[in-house]
Amino acid sequence: MKRILTGLFTAVVVISSMVSAQEPQAGAPANLEKTPWLKGVQISPYPVDISPVIPLKIYAENGEAIPATLTEDVPLTLVADTTIFEEAPPVEYKGQQIPNPRWEENPAISWFFIDWEKNKNYMASVSEPLAANQMVIIPTTPTGKGAITCHIARRMRYDLPEPGRSKGTFANSSGAKDVRVLDITPPLCGLEISVENGGSGACWPVENPPDKYPLPKQADVYLSGALFNANDQDILLQGLELGNNMVVAADQAALQVSANDKLSVKVIGGDNYKLDNSKLKFGLCNGAGGEPAPVGPVNADVIDLSKLKLPEALHLYLDATDVAGNRQVMFIPVIVK
Amino acid sequence: MKKLTGFLMVVAILFSFAVMITAEEPADEAASTTTDVSAAPEAAPIPDNADMTLGMTESKDVMPATFRGGDPDSSLVHCLEDVYYEKQEHSLIYKEDAGELAEGAKFESDPNITWDTKVKDADGNWKTLTSANTNMAADGGKFFAPGEYQIGNSGARQVGGSSGADNEAIGEGTDPTNEAGGEGNTDTALVGEDGKTEADAKTVTAQQSMGVQVHDVTSPDLWVAFQEGAGSVDMAATEQELKSKMMEKIISTLGRPFSTNAEDYEEASYMFVDEGADGERDKEPFDKTARLSVAGALFNDRGAPKFETKTIESKTLDEESMTRQVHVSGGEKSALKGVFVRRNVPFIFAAMAVDNGDHRAKAGEVACRIEKADGTEVEKDGNSYLFRVPNFPRDNYEDQPEYFFVAKGSDKAGNLTTIRTPLYVVNTQAAFEGGRNQ
Repeated sequence: MKRILTGLFTAVVVISSMVSAQEPQAGAPANLEKTPWLKGVQISPYPVDISPVIPLKIYAENGEAIPATLTEDVPLTLVADTTIFEEAPPVEYKGQQIPNPRWEENPAISWFFIDWEKNKNYMASVSEPLAANQMVIIPTTPTGKGAITCHIARRMRYDLPEPGRSKGTFANSSGAKDVRVLDITPPLCGLEISVENGGSGACWPVENPPDKYPLPKQADVYLSGALFNANDQDILLQGLELGNNMVVAADQAALQVSANDKLSVKVIGGDNYKLDNSKLKFGLCNGAGGEPAPVGPVNADVIDLSKLKLPEALHLYLDATDVAGNRQVMFIPVIVK
Repeated sequence: MKKLTGFLMVVAILFSFAVMITAEEPADEAASTTTDVSAAPEAAPIPDNADMTLGMTESKDVMPATFRGGDPDSSLVHCLEDVYYEKQEHSLIYKEDAGELAEGAKFESDPNITWDTKVKDADGNWKTLTSANTNMAADGGKFFAPGEYQIGNSGARQVGGSSGADNEAIGEGTDPTNEAGGEGNTDTALVGEDGKTEADAKTVTAQQSMGVQVHDVTSPDLWVAFQEGAGSVDMAATEQELKSKMMEKIISTLGRPFSTNAEDYEEASYMFVDEGADGERDKEPFDKTARLSVAGALFNDRGAPKFETKTIESKTLDEESMTRQVHVSGGEKSALKGVFVRRNVPFIFAAMAVDNGDHRAKAGEVACRIEKADGTEVEKDGNSYLFRVPNFPRDNYEDQPEYFFVAKGSDKAGNLTTIRTPLYVVNTQAAFEGGRNQ
């Protein structure tokens, strides 16, 4: 009797396991330390119902392949090549027949540019009318590792085996093109200056208009603080060409110091991608424009004016270059009282 | 007996093997690549994309598929406006191990995850309402207006390490800085943070969507205007004129009173029942309130112009369909004492409603009338209403009939806004505007 009961128990256990095995598999619980993005997720990654995934390729507008390297701020019209725009959905997915499939809605389309270095994406949108499968991407952030992605969903319906019944679901189509984005914007560095036992001042450029193309890039330069006679209101110089010859004229603004002052100088700002710190230079120079002709120490945190023979056309200069080679050289007049 | 037991054991073991084999099949199928994968005998190529699942997290506020007559096979998720919902998604590209995507594959980055909410416009096209790059596979939020939405999850992840990604470099971008004399625009300047060019990694995408029907559980905003024909007021020739004025204002103010200054209501008196000010709108259905505002001279027996406003209740009308009703019951104990009209002064009234179901874009006419206590409708005297015998104060005119002003506005979902308030005929003669009765 005991053996019969044992046999029956075994059979019941096995049949139970068979029933549970037929349910959708949720997979092993997520390790949230290694996959923190799965916090709060309890569903299985394996779809239970039919939801076909349709291949998608991204091409340039002319049908050619997208260059592996794009240029920052240069618009690129792209085309998504997928059958999700065709008259009817697929009749089969992963070997499973989809009876009488038909679309129920227009496709919903999203385009993104992903900067994988920051793991951040930027949604693309246009105001001008384009074909449904087209989009203009403007890569505004340089990156060594990026991707253009297109995601499309379209509601569809297919017949169920029971007569008169049909089921709604989504067909999805997505794809990516890995690209790099070349930095064409010079650095946007500025200087913070203070005088021992005296006032302070700062000057810095702001790209304006942002993401301008075609070149050249432009910037507004702001100057603030007592050393620039801008205690109450910043001085704004608009429309300078952002590049290697940013010259502030003496009648616009000037750093006003005394011959015995000790200047503490610090670089502020940076680059929209990566600054090449090995090429960063700042200090005093003779004249403005062209290659700076340094007067006194280069990249010194403190400049003791009393120890220098100061030229008539004394300027403060900043020479910054990013890793892509874009260069910013800015000259600020210095008036020594 | 021993034979029977032995037989059962053998059957059990055979079942166990069968179950193990059956259980492994779906996972293998699901893990199979979806697109553009040519058979490669030596190593599995990395697919372009992967399946994704997406669903609303279970909650009592997720309505059944048949909610308000829904089609159970539509796969639409039924939700209520202004309720917080959580949704979640999953895909092979979110797992710890990329092995299920392709043998030997490795994830080269964390996933990039974006939640999109799209809403259908009048042309049937989907417009993006929000796009949030959360990089999390679960997300929460509210739908602040009824309508048909599409929740989309766009996922991507860098995958490498298999037989190589189909990610060939095709040409190089034009470098416009060359002309400008830029220097050092080399490829080495564009390597990733880790110093690798990642040429062997590719972006694999996944995408899934979910249709959400968000149901209206807010009663419509209802305006009633009363306009007298006495004094210097230029009475509207017809009710339609008054309605046209109201229609313009109720849409432009999205149902809110167009002014809080009593002086702005000299031409006509208004009763506003609406969802309330910004802080009161979009409350969860279970906490919803409404706001009653009365403006003008006809809401007190002295005829003194005023603007008063007060929060009122919004109650569940039907538990199953989750419809709600805002009812204004006028009287001595109510925020609305009643409507006070003058004896022998002709007046007209009109009622108009807007609803959040269409973002208050259109105004609709509302049924309203004056009736006696027994429900008998009081007819117009020509083009307007006119009462020749006062009935207020009630103690002095017990023999005169009681009158009630009633109005009922409803939206497509069945939410109601109703008013039933006493209408008093006051013996004011011409002294009404002086603020005292005769």
